[in-house]
Amino acid sequence: MPTGVDQQPRKLSTSTQFHRGDRIFNRLVTIAAFTSLFVLLGIATFLGSQMIPVIQEQGWSFFTTTEWTFTFNSADDEAKFGILGMMYGSILLAVIALVISVPVSILLAIFVVFLAPARVAKIMTNFIDLMAAIPSIIIGLWGLYVFQPVGVEWARILNEYLGWIPIFSMTSDNFIGSSFIAGWILAIMMIPIVTAVTREVLDRTPPDLVNAAESLGCSLWTMLRYVALPFGRGGLVGGVMLGLGRALGETVAVYFVLKLVFDINLFRILDSGGGSIATMIVAKFGEAGPKELQVLLASGFVLFIGTLVVNIIANYIVSRTGKLKS
Amino acid sequence: MSSSMVRYEESGTRVEEVKKQSPLRPWTNRTAHFKMVTALAALLPLLFIAVVYMMTEIPGAIVVVAIYLPLQIVAAVVAALLVGGKNSAADAVIIVLAIGATLLSVIIVFSILWSITIRGFEALSVAFLSQNNTYISPPTPLGYGGIAHAVLGTVLIVVIAMLVSVPIGIATAVYVTEVKGRFRNYVRFFIQAESGVPSVVAGLFILTILILTGVISQSALAGALAYSILMLPTVARTSEEVLKLIPDDLRTGALALGSTRARTVLRVVLPAARTGIITATILGIARVMGETAPLLLTALTNDKTVWNPIAEPIASLPTYIFFNVSLPFPSAVTRAWGAALVLMALVAIVFTAARYFGAKKFATN
Repeated sequence: MPTGVDQQPRKLSTSTQFHRGDRIFNRLVTIAAFTSLFVLLGIATFLGSQMIPVIQEQGWSFFTTTEWTFTFNSADDEAKFGILGMMYGSILLAVIALVISVPVSILLAIFVVFLAPARVAKIMTNFIDLMAAIPSIIIGLWGLYVFQPVGVEWARILNEYLGWIPIFSMTSDNFIGSSFIAGWILAIMMIPIVTAVTREVLDRTPPDLVNAAESLGCSLWTMLRYVALPFGRGGLVGGVMLGLGRALGETVAVYFVLKLVFDINLFRILDSGGGSIATMIVAKFGEAGPKELQVLLASGFVLFIGTLVVNIIANYIVSRTGKLKS
Repeated sequence: MSSSMVRYEESGTRVEEVKKQSPLRPWTNRTAHFKMVTALAALLPLLFIAVVYMMTEIPGAIVVVAIYLPLQIVAAVVAALLVGGKNSAADAVIIVLAIGATLLSVIIVFSILWSITIRGFEALSVAFLSQNNTYISPPTPLGYGGIAHAVLGTVLIVVIAMLVSVPIGIATAVYVTEVKGRFRNYVRFFIQAESGVPSVVAGLFILTILILTGVISQSALAGALAYSILMLPTVARTSEEVLKLIPDDLRTGALALGSTRARTVLRVVLPAARTGIITATILGIARVMGETAPLLLTALTNDKTVWNPIAEPIASLPTYIFFNVSLPFPSAVTRAWGAALVLMALVAIVFTAARYFGAKKFATN
């Protein structure tokens, strides 16, 4: 070994010894990366802060009543705002949409992954993406002018033959603007989301397991029941929750087909009238004075928290399934 | 996919013909007998309800749901028992329902596309595509006034939103994949949480922090900022996926040649991921293009052509549709359909572009 050469092993540079340009670059990128956090915090603080005066004035009746008496000219102390009917309506719409879209989406995904010939499967995959790309306002327009007459007809038939079941009973003869029709519109918007996630999860079923099941004499149904569906259950639930988040936040499509009513229409889904927080915000915004605007912002906060919780749970479930697989 | 493959033993004699099949579909190998029974099981119920529908007055919905569907399931089960064992009966039900669900969604999408095409064409004219809405009142006959101002507004808003959200989205992806910052898992979490923010809430947020406080007025810029909130998660997540596909050799190669980290990312990694990043941008645009609720709160609408993105309310295709539908005039509604057709065409162009660049991306990898 030649003398005069440093006997110590040379240290490789570590992250503390970045070039100056790199340090600036890193800092810029880090700031940009935290934009989404700032946005979330911003929404929470600025919309949340509108919550305080509303609660101070309305008390908890903001959440527990359905009364909404306010006109632009009325005195402030007469104003009453209660969004219980809207919150209930949002959930009811989401449930109806789930009941319709989940079976359809799962069956559609099963068709694409396990039944369709490769070429048809590819076309259908693109088709599902196309369905997801249709803007909600177009679905709303179609819902109002094309689907509503058909949906009213379906509602009439349901009421005629199954009217003895409470949810299909009616108090009026007006089928237009019902939760049933708005639920269908939401379902149409949920189908591509739920299907896309379900398809992806089912597609990742290990072929070995599928072939093993087949060679043991399993039929398609047995294979689905004992191999594919249990395997993809987490992703399936997560996909449904993602769709649910979308359904809760959907605004204009529902605006076109739902007649907003502040009273709770507890279960008669075929009857005209229902509620949705997101739609209510847009519907009331145009004519809102400063007072009412504050209430709308507070309602927006309620909607934000609701969808955030649903979305976080959904992503948690989906990511956990991903980890199990790898 | 080629359908069959012939194997030869060393002596050169042909031994077997193996049908190449998708690994996930072992049961797609079927005999002629099976195919015939299946075809009969599919056709007979269809013929039956066609006759029922023409001979009686029963409404179509009942015929399909209450008569055809049960009949088709029974036929499929019988067919399954004929060609397979007891176990195939459940398969038959699944197959009928799966095809039914597929047909339902295909019918819905075609109904939507068909109705916007048919009704939209009633409104289309050169004037409709080239004029704005000044001097036009709702009952004005078609052939006067148009949506050029709304198309311009949509393009302006989307371009500004793109300029805001794409750099931030790419930087976020770089933070997660290249810089590998300490908080990258949290950043991923926030991005996912942001992707669930309802569009109306994004609009309310911009309304509270910028418009009610008087920083900017309701304008293209305000609308674009609301759009950016919705675009950012899509751009960031797609870019992240794209950057992950870039081989590590490029990074280590650049670093070994003495390049700094920043230079490696800006001059080597990002250019290599160029098409993928274009895809990410296009997907972000597709995400927001038809969003209406944020613009109702932040950009409103306008009858004249607006070029200035900060001065005054601006029209856009979604809000144009929204306000025309709300008017009780047939000509206004027809205009809304026309605008919907143009919006759908724009979405289709963006969608196709995403496919094109997406395909290119996978071709090079």
